Amino acid sequence: MKRRKVIAAAFAAAAMIVAAACGSDDAADEEVTEETEATEETMAPAEDYSMVKAAVVYIGVPGDAGWTYQHDQGIAYLEEQLGIEVTRLENIPEGAESVATFDKLARDGYNLIMGTSFGYMDPMLEVAAKYPDVCFQHASGYKTAENMGNYFGAMEEARYLSGIAAGAATTSGKLGYVAAFPIPEVLRGINAFTLGVRSVNPTATVQVAWTSTWFDPAKEKEAAQSLLATGADVIAQHQDTTAPGEAAKEAGAKWVGYNSDTKAGDFPDTWLTGPVWNWGPHYVKMAKDVAAGTCDATPYYGNMADGMITLGVYGSGVSQETQDLIAEKAAAIIDGSFLPFTGPIKDNEGNEQIASGASASLGDLLGQSYLVEGVIGSAKG
Amino acid sequence: MIVFGRRVRMEQRLTTPSSLLVVVPVLSVLFALVVGGVFLALTGHPPIGTYLDLLDNGYTSFYGITDTLGLATPLVCTGLSAAFAFRMNLYSIGQEGQMYLGMIGGTWAGIVLADALPTAIAVPVVLCCGALSGAAWVALPALLRARLGTSEIVSTLLLNYVALNLVNYFIFGSTGFFRDPTTSFPQGRTVSENARLSPLSFFTDKVTNTYPTFVIAVVLAVSLFWLMKVSNYGYETTVYADSPNTARYAGMNSTWLQSSVLLISGALAGVGGAMYVVGPAGKVDPGLLQIGLGYAGIVVAALARYNFVAVILAAVLFAGLRTGGNALQASSDPVPIAIAVVLQGAVLLFALGGELFRRNKVTIVRVKQAVA
Repeated sequence: MKRRKVIAAAFAAAAMIVAAACGSDDAADEEVTEETEATEETMAPAEDYSMVKAAVVYIGVPGDAGWTYQHDQGIAYLEEQLGIEVTRLENIPEGAESVATFDKLARDGYNLIMGTSFGYMDPMLEVAAKYPDVCFQHASGYKTAENMGNYFGAMEEARYLSGIAAGAATTSGKLGYVAAFPIPEVLRGINAFTLGVRSVNPTATVQVAWTSTWFDPAKEKEAAQSLLATGADVIAQHQDTTAPGEAAKEAGAKWVGYNSDTKAGDFPDTWLTGPVWNWGPHYVKMAKDVAAGTCDATPYYGNMADGMITLGVYGSGVSQETQDLIAEKAAAIIDGSFLPFTGPIKDNEGNEQIASGASASLGDLLGQSYLVEGVIGSAKG
Repeated sequence: MIVFGRRVRMEQRLTTPSSLLVVVPVLSVLFALVVGGVFLALTGHPPIGTYLDLLDNGYTSFYGITDTLGLATPLVCTGLSAAFAFRMNLYSIGQEGQMYLGMIGGTWAGIVLADALPTAIAVPVVLCCGALSGAAWVALPALLRARLGTSEIVSTLLLNYVALNLVNYFIFGSTGFFRDPTTSFPQGRTVSENARLSPLSFFTDKVTNTYPTFVIAVVLAVSLFWLMKVSNYGYETTVYADSPNTARYAGMNSTWLQSSVLLISGALAGVGGAMYVVGPAGKVDPGLLQIGLGYAGIVVAALARYNFVAVILAAVLFAGLRTGGNALQASSDPVPIAIAVVLQGAVLLFALGGELFRRNKVTIVRVKQAVA
């Protein structure tokens, strides 16, 4: 009889594997077929880019309405601008399986291979060494090779602006931030958001809940709920999906999204705004480089001035006054007269991190490993 | 059970005809392919072409099979781990966590010990440390099971989550020993080059993603098969599995048998994690957490009916579905990953479901319609 039990257990395990897949399938169904702004200028491509064989590898699915969705929008923009088709691979785990995937793409003759998760960096580097004629591009990492570049952007700029909206919207003075991993990119985002919040609401606090995952709607939602339970009335996030927004909506709290504002309409009363990626133009540049026979291997760090980073649409909870303030700050960020990380800035353990009047260099920002005053949480997760 | 006026009865077989050992798995896979084919056709993909593509990308092409063998390597170990425990009716499902611990222990050895050792010694040392760590992770459940009869299913499962958080803590939560000190980005510190094996390459320019650890895993499986056939220990565990009371009556030490089987099972999963270190990863790599090779080991063990040699085949079947499924997204007629995973699920479910027909005899008898 016991053997039966284990067959049942194995069934359950197999069923779990299928269920996991179906979960992401559901997410894909929700994908909204919204036109990109890019469609306005549908000119026939002037040049023939058919020699660019491009593939992109995603950690999740475009149906996340977040990180992968926004990359997918950028890829769609690339396809349309250059008149080529890009092969998309979804749900590819980091580690050994991604090595095999990049390897296979390079073998199959793709000459532009892009990967959009931090953990793809070492696998990609390893494969890039084997295929010197293939151009590899990695989002969010820092390692490069002769035929491997990376691209990312100063999301902290838009995060700061979204913090202003959040700081003006809170009534309890308690904000919650659902965050994936305590790495510099995420810490920097929490800090910029908090600086924005406290620029208009100097006593407000931002409590962080770590999820240890980029993409897991259930965990993201749970973390948001735990923050709401402590009295937070605005939820911000560094996660791939809109799940924290769902939790905020159910609790009647406000929500600052991330990655994309495509779902803002589903949250008419609770959506404030959100920092948004605009990857398309850089994808076009990468492909044009490949067509010209080069591979841009220098790290690319986009910002609001070049349009890679934007602030999404506003919800009804952001007053005109606040919008004007944000517009003013945004203009200052774009023309370089205002840097969010300007001292005096203390960390939340009381140590001075940026002296009065000084500004953090890009290098400091990229390695930021503390949380600023006003954040409740530990930079060690 | 009455279906369409016929009574369907299942009777447990006393002996399994040897023909069924081949017929059932083959029919199961065929059935799965038919079901998957309906799915494919419904979503507008030609079933036959897709299957040929899957076969090519997962099994029959040179790089397809070598990618698959690379992925299958840790899976053979976790499969052996599950099979070893399950044959003794000990349902340890802690392979996932034990594998992580093997990765941690192996990395520790690779950083601390390997520098002073030549590769021929460093690699076995790393693998042994992985095995010890995996065994250590199951020591508590083993003790609780043997002494107090605590369910090993629950205790090993819960420890998986602890192990998962431990890996996350080492890489993301702390700046300690296992974290790369050269960068503020969270990633593992790499082990000494002496503790790494190069991937197998053929004809010099064809570097594959298979590592020599696959050969070690195969040797492990075969020797385990042989040892459990000929050794006294193998005999005792078989007796105990069939009837614990008989074993006790014959003077066998049940505490020793239960705890040692669980410890060896943990060590096998731990070796799998350490193989990931000497092979592709070279560090504590949170990427391993996303693949679920420990849980997959349970499915592999069940597919292999706890036969250690069959574990190799089952692991390759499973890994090929993964690599082939991923590759289908890049084929000329891209198949979404969700459908590829449904295919994988169908093959696994049917292969397991086939067990029912191997163990039981199905008789169908026409029954008279009852007049209402």
